[in-house]
Amino acid sequence: MIALTTPYLWYTTRATGLVALILFTAVVSLGTLVANRIGGTTVGRFEINELHRSLSMVAVVFLVIHIVTTILDSYVSTGILSAFIPMTSAYKRLAVAFGAVAFDLILAVWISSLLKLRIKNSSWRFIHWFSWIAVSTAIVHGYLSGTDARKGIGLAVVVACTAVTLAAAVWRFFGRPTRAAGRTALSPLAQSVASVSTTPSPQRSGTSRPSTQRPTNKPFASSQRPNTKRGR
Amino acid sequence: MQRNALPRLMHAASTRPLSLVQHEEVFATTQRPASLIDELDASGLTGRGGAGFPTAIKARLIREQRGHKFVVVNAMEGEPASHKDQTMLSTHPQLVLDGAEYLAAIIGAKDVAVCVARDNPTIVNHMERAIHERSRRSLRGPKLELHTPPWRYVAGEESALVHWLDDNESLPQFRVSRPHVLRIGHAPVLVDNAETCANVGLIGRFGAEWYRGLGTSKSPGSALVSVTGAVRHPIVLEVSLGTPLREILASAEADTNPQAVLLGGYGGSWLAGEHLDLGYCNEELGLHGVVTGAGVIVVLPRNACGVVETWRVVRWMANESARQCGPCAFGLPALGEDLKHLSTASRDPLGAFKRLEERLGEIDGRGACRHPDGVVRFVRSALSVFEHDFNNHAHAHACAASRATTHYASVPHLEREEELVWE
Amino acid sequence: MGVRRRSGSFILQVNPILCDGFGHCGELAPELVTMDEWGYPIITAEPTPYNDARVHESARYAERGCPRQALRIRRVSD
Repeated sequence: MIALTTPYLWYTTRATGLVALILFTAVVSLGTLVANRIGGTTVGRFEINELHRSLSMVAVVFLVIHIVTTILDSYVSTGILSAFIPMTSAYKRLAVAFGAVAFDLILAVWISSLLKLRIKNSSWRFIHWFSWIAVSTAIVHGYLSGTDARKGIGLAVVVACTAVTLAAAVWRFFGRPTRAAGRTALSPLAQSVASVSTTPSPQRSGTSRPSTQRPTNKPFASSQRPNTKRGR
Repeated sequence: MQRNALPRLMHAASTRPLSLVQHEEVFATTQRPASLIDELDASGLTGRGGAGFPTAIKARLIREQRGHKFVVVNAMEGEPASHKDQTMLSTHPQLVLDGAEYLAAIIGAKDVAVCVARDNPTIVNHMERAIHERSRRSLRGPKLELHTPPWRYVAGEESALVHWLDDNESLPQFRVSRPHVLRIGHAPVLVDNAETCANVGLIGRFGAEWYRGLGTSKSPGSALVSVTGAVRHPIVLEVSLGTPLREILASAEADTNPQAVLLGGYGGSWLAGEHLDLGYCNEELGLHGVVTGAGVIVVLPRNACGVVETWRVVRWMANESARQCGPCAFGLPALGEDLKHLSTASRDPLGAFKRLEERLGEIDGRGACRHPDGVVRFVRSALSVFEHDFNNHAHAHACAASRATTHYASVPHLEREEELVWE
Repeated sequence: MGVRRRSGSFILQVNPILCDGFGHCGELAPELVTMDEWGYPIITAEPTPYNDARVHESARYAERGCPRQALRIRRVSD
């Protein structure tokens, strides 16, 4: 491999790493906005979704530059292998390992999204959950390995990204919307609940000819109900 | 057996199911047809589960498929007002299995799955015994298996049933286009109702010509009907297709001068009492937009309120939605809500009436299965049959009958009210 | 982008089980999709010719933009 000794590569690595961290945080937050169905009046929901998708492309570009410059740079001895496989780097073994994990997960999420129309929606969504782990490990990676992450702007960025990701995660996992959350006001569901009252039906017994088999009552098997799709 | 006499399906029926030996005596084969599928074609048998699709066409569709195949006997009996499948299985389980084996031979299936709701242990018992008897007699023929999904209205829908066999979830599946070949894993599945299978059993034993000895030319054969409502006892009768409805009601000892009858089940339609001279078959009932469906007749007497009965059924059907599709999960409770405003004294019945009519058009045809469509058809038929009542209710003149405590369209108890709520 | 001329027509088809009423399709393809009162799409049943490039493009946007991938463009043979 060509060993390049110019300091600009190292600067590029640091800068693109910082930008990629900010971008991925933004992508995850935008994804949360989509999942929680924000928008619709002034900003279209689809616009947030489009922004989420295009920004993720930009973030991946920055990530690739970040990784390529790291590999090319001779100041740190990190090979192409350690970009994918954790704990193989000589330089800051643990910190780079976090980065490798994040990169692998981001790669999985990215490829599955490119194949979105060809794979099952449930698989795509399952893979997409891993973006939370990816962005968390990316933040840890940034803090552990970042030359600038311990003071000044670098620290501010890491702290801000952590805060935003945490807030988004709390919103996503604890403020889970019901189906069609944007329309609950119009939903008849709230009133329907009260409308159901049990009325005895007198017609449920008797005989059926020619057998004297009693038509059996068909109660709900409460423990054996088929799973209905629940909210998410 | 005679060519044109009833009973056929209920021939030699007693309080106990016939054993295999008795069964072979009672239904002694007269002619073994050369080609079962041609015989099935010639018989003109249509499915008795509700859709009324020609059985032979369905069988041919699956026969063209390759690989391992399944025959599924659907005896789930989702309709609360229907008792025909449990009557069939508690009198002639072997005839149903006969039909299933014939169908398996036609399509080349090695497995037969009989599906009975586990909430009905008597029938499960009968079926277990019948299958055991067969396996003791010979090991040839398809492998028979009993499956007992939990009972729900939509669990009897064919794609939900196949989903259960495939993945233990009684949820209907989305079909891009119809007809659609349902599959367990990769194996194509032929799903037929228990009564259809019993009819196939008869055709396999006595031939198509014999089979056409009863019924009309377009709907040959006989069918089981469950008569409930204003009737002395809920009863299951075997009728020759094309029999006038009035005659059926008379032999069921039901009210022969009713306000209306509900035909086809809770996804079916109301038919006004004036049309009782129509024959019980799809070509005559079809003129009024009614189908025989799952063989249900609910008799509604003159002193009952059609609006209230419709509301009760819709409320229950809304609760039975699998809640997979938005239009069904939200739309059906909304219909129930509108009907509630109409049937009980409320502030704005006229608004509810208008909203109801709008919503019917919105929901129609937008679910993965036919459950919402059935409810829409049911409510639409109610709107035309009980037009006068609906108008009165809409203008806040609820009839006296709507305050009665007796109801005729029976629905199981809504035991768990929280069913309507989910996260 | 050149103008592609294709014969035949298509319909936009929704899988109602996957659909969760996100409402993106109504914003992306208002020519084909209206919303019901619960936020679920009502899609026009009439086939649209592929020649109608503008509608076809919004249908493709809707297909790709659906967060549940519940939409598919299906060719109608006629």
